[in-house]
Amino acid sequence: MLIDANQALSDKEQKPIDELILRVQQGDQSAFEQLYRKHEKRVYGLCLRLLASPEYAEDVTQEVFVQLWNKISQFQGQSQFSTWLHSVTSNIAISYLRKHKNWLQKVVSIEGSGMDEQTSSMCEGLNGLDKLVVRLPERARLVFVLHAVEGYRHEEIASMLDMAVGSSKSQYHRARQLLQEWYDNE
Amino acid sequence: MSKPDFEQFLKESLEQTKEVAPKRDLWPGIERAIVTQGNQQKQPGSFWPKLTGIAACTVAGLLAWQVVVKQPQQNSMADISAFFEQQKQSLLVQYESQPALTSNWQEQLQELENAEQAVKVALQNDPENAALLRMLAQVYQQQLDLINKVHEPRWQQI
Repeated sequence: MLIDANQALSDKEQKPIDELILRVQQGDQSAFEQLYRKHEKRVYGLCLRLLASPEYAEDVTQEVFVQLWNKISQFQGQSQFSTWLHSVTSNIAISYLRKHKNWLQKVVSIEGSGMDEQTSSMCEGLNGLDKLVVRLPERARLVFVLHAVEGYRHEEIASMLDMAVGSSKSQYHRARQLLQEWYDNE
Repeated sequence: MSKPDFEQFLKESLEQTKEVAPKRDLWPGIERAIVTQGNQQKQPGSFWPKLTGIAACTVAGLLAWQVVVKQPQQNSMADISAFFEQQKQSLLVQYESQPALTSNWQEQLQELENAEQAVKVALQNDPENAALLRMLAQVYQQQLDLINKVHEPRWQQI
């Protein structure tokens, strides 16, 4: 089950968010900006971890909020808003990565790579683990972020990434091994 | 102070805040996009941008189909170059009548073409070198991306 990203929010904080969402659903653009300011850093952080590119992460963050504006009427409050938003973000980021697979990757099915060590170390705002995560190869990175950071189950990840459950588990194992190797060598 | 072991490092890192601030303010682009969308929905005659979008998506889909299904075995420099040239020319023809978003895109394209020539020279000495072939394809991809990017009126660039 997906870890509830809003679990840290107290009832006091949750109420204004519900009110904000209601205003956005009624077409209030200033409320939407407040909602954006509240969530932009978490959405951008998730995008950056998944996409390993600040430029892609900016594009997808914008796309997420434009789609959110269009689809917010579909949010009926069955789940926490931030859980729903993270799920929308993950799906948009994965589909963006598929669209931006480069030409050779499409022809010979080469896996996308992560950032190199130097670029990741210069990437602002990332903590020690994140700097290693963005260096992971694409599939291992996606699985690690979705499972370890976002709390998805391997069955859910397998369906999102169109892979077998076993592949999701082995990519996670691969990611951990690489992370440990890089951490130990630091 | 000694470095914590990996498990400890992982546990502590995953408990830390997951927030990262983008380097620039992304709100103006989002606001522009939603306002533009709203205006387009109000205008009854604004179906042409949509139609152009659909046409561009269709062309992109056909390209992807051609790359993945029709041409799965391309691996030599000549094959890759011939196929790329065809794609590049189609894109240039497609965007011929559309204004570009930047004025210096042709200079940028020229730089990429120079890089393409340098990789091709290296490939003449080592035609089977996979790293060079990959580099060539990346340079080609960058050219296609550049042509697309400067001609597509994307709200992200606002």
